[in-house]
Amino acid sequence: MKPPTLSATRAQVTRKRGLRGARGLPFVLPYLPFLLVFGILPMAYALYLAVTNDTSGWVGVGNFTRTFRDYRFLPAFEHILLYTCVWLGSLIVIVVGLALLLHGRASRVSTTFRFLFYIPGALAGASAVLVWLFMLDPGVSPGSFLLRHLLGSHLFVQSIAPGKLPFVFAMIAFWTGAGGWIVVMYGALNTIPYELEEAARIDGAGPLTVALRLKLPMIRKWIAYMTILAFATGTQLFVEPQLVNEASLGLVPDTWSSNQLAYQLAFRYGDFNAAAAVSVDLIAIGLIAAVLIVKRTGLFRTED
Amino acid sequence: MLASLAMTAVVAIAACGNDPSKPKASQGSNNLTVWVDSVRLPVAQAYVKAHPNQHVKIVTFDGDANGATTMQTKIQLWNRTGNGWPDVIFSEQVNDPVWMAQKPFEFAAPLKGLIPGNLLSKWPAASTAQCTVNGTQYCVQDNLAQVVLWFNKKLMDKFGYAVPKTWQQWADLGKKVATEHPGYIVGNIGDSFSHWIYLWGNQCPLEQLQGDKLRINSADAHCTRVAGMLDPLIKNGTVPPLSVFTPDFASKYGGAKDKVLMMPGPSWFAQALFDETLHIPAGQITAAAPLQWENETPVTTGQVGGGPWIISKHSRNLKGAADFVIWATTVFNPTGKAARPGYPAYAPLAEAWLTGLAGNSYFAADPTPALKAAAGQVWTGWNLVTYPDQPVWSNTVVTKLVAGKSLSSLIQPFGDGLAQAAKASGYTVVRQ
Repeated sequence: MKPPTLSATRAQVTRKRGLRGARGLPFVLPYLPFLLVFGILPMAYALYLAVTNDTSGWVGVGNFTRTFRDYRFLPAFEHILLYTCVWLGSLIVIVVGLALLLHGRASRVSTTFRFLFYIPGALAGASAVLVWLFMLDPGVSPGSFLLRHLLGSHLFVQSIAPGKLPFVFAMIAFWTGAGGWIVVMYGALNTIPYELEEAARIDGAGPLTVALRLKLPMIRKWIAYMTILAFATGTQLFVEPQLVNEASLGLVPDTWSSNQLAYQLAFRYGDFNAAAAVSVDLIAIGLIAAVLIVKRTGLFRTED
Repeated sequence: MLASLAMTAVVAIAACGNDPSKPKASQGSNNLTVWVDSVRLPVAQAYVKAHPNQHVKIVTFDGDANGATTMQTKIQLWNRTGNGWPDVIFSEQVNDPVWMAQKPFEFAAPLKGLIPGNLLSKWPAASTAQCTVNGTQYCVQDNLAQVVLWFNKKLMDKFGYAVPKTWQQWADLGKKVATEHPGYIVGNIGDSFSHWIYLWGNQCPLEQLQGDKLRINSADAHCTRVAGMLDPLIKNGTVPPLSVFTPDFASKYGGAKDKVLMMPGPSWFAQALFDETLHIPAGQITAAAPLQWENETPVTTGQVGGGPWIISKHSRNLKGAADFVIWATTVFNPTGKAARPGYPAYAPLAEAWLTGLAGNSYFAADPTPALKAAAGQVWTGWNLVTYPDQPVWSNTVVTKLVAGKSLSSLIQPFGDGLAQAAKASGYTVVRQ
């Protein structure tokens, strides 16, 4: 039994939300057809392919167990798991750290640095990888002393040794992706009312306390948002290993990441059902991670 | 994933000129679309020049080099869309016709009736055998890629070494070079095709079709004894695990450094590698006959390439496609710098090409007797399969050699990797 007052307020809230939804519709309408055609339909098609065989017969989880037993499946998922951990870890710590540092600086300094951080992100994915192919070759790299001393590589083949690859790819992704997120985080920090910061200062909080105890909790949702998106792009890694595969004349396997495995299954073996199963695995992983993060951080909670 | 698939589709469709406003190959019988690698681009361009009435569209691609599967993905897409197939494809991958002739690709057209029998009969039997799938010939090879022993005559004379005749003499010399002239090399093992030089040539049974089964026996003595011979040389630096096509290799051993003393390698290494890639000065390099294992006969050698020309069975201009392939393999033979890089597979053309090579001042001595002798010595116990084996070699062996492991410890994992690739492609594998 619920008290009548509560249900009345609920009804009011729902009505309010319904009204807001109706008003919001024109704003999302132009996007809806694209979401449907390029997002929902392919996903539904992938699901359909994943549970059927090439003659459209129902096979249940057959494709999933079959791909799981493929000798390239586990290594590919191990690779992207390690890669995503390295990348997400460095992304969250360094991006948030840098954004907090920038926000505490005088505006001219922070503008300059924001711009510098952002520049690499202006390079499109594939061309950024090509730049890195040179960066990783000790023979031509401007950072060859770092390669020699930090990575211990004197030759390109040593730079892309199997054990180093998750870190190398994480480095590439961080270099191209972090700048944009620093700008986003900076924007998030700007939404914090100045009075709050001032009040904290008056209460005797130093810059470190302000950053960690005040600013950080207030941009928690942005960090969660970044984590969800970065996790999805991380597990769907494709361009970097694909290009390094070709540039290394095949030293890096063409099924290094799970997305590459799906691509190879579809277009080399003509096995679209197995490819769809691997893709669905990836969607599932992304969804589970997103739900966990949303639940833990209260990303969509509006009553704060 | 979706974006990349869409991109591939767009590229494939755009590359084929699938423009509805233009007449399709079906209507204009002299329209021709030809896909070649960059090395074969001059052939295609020369054909266009010699045939101004033919409308030829040339598309270059990676040629499936180093075991890439570009063509498989492309043909899958064309098969699914039902159009866009090129009329002629050149592949660097000698095994490509094997899968092109079979399900699910079914791309290659049988050559019987397209190319006259009196021409086809002039390809060496071993070359024709590599183009024959289930009894039907689906391709002609552009060149033979028999492995010989290339060596630097100037350096060998200077150091006072005799050119080895057997693998054992070669290995002993490698140990001598390491102490007497460190920095010089007697071979290399870091290419995606190095196993074809050392293991194919020495009869290691890693790809043997026996009825409907595939035999992959990496424990065979023919494999392990080669690994045992190579290990000390890899360790002492005279056979580095580096690819000859990397900038690192060129800067360490090529050009003015001139550190390549010997190198077992295919016929097309001739000018393509030593002159144009490594820039080794003229008057130094020449070829010797393939190395023999102790006193075992007959002498067998490996093969690196033998790129095939394939005609599409979907072509609406089969006559034009056949004409192109005939011209490219039996007529095209420029001289001098523009000469064909590899030993032509078509026998009458090979004669003319060898004459040109014999008079080529780049070589320290006439390399043609060695090339000619090796042409018939490629071991026929290495069969072509539907999957490329180079990526397995690169992933499981080369990367580990770079990390300091011994070849002997990697031969078994290599066999395991090949067996996995074979099973994934639908083969029943026998491991002994």
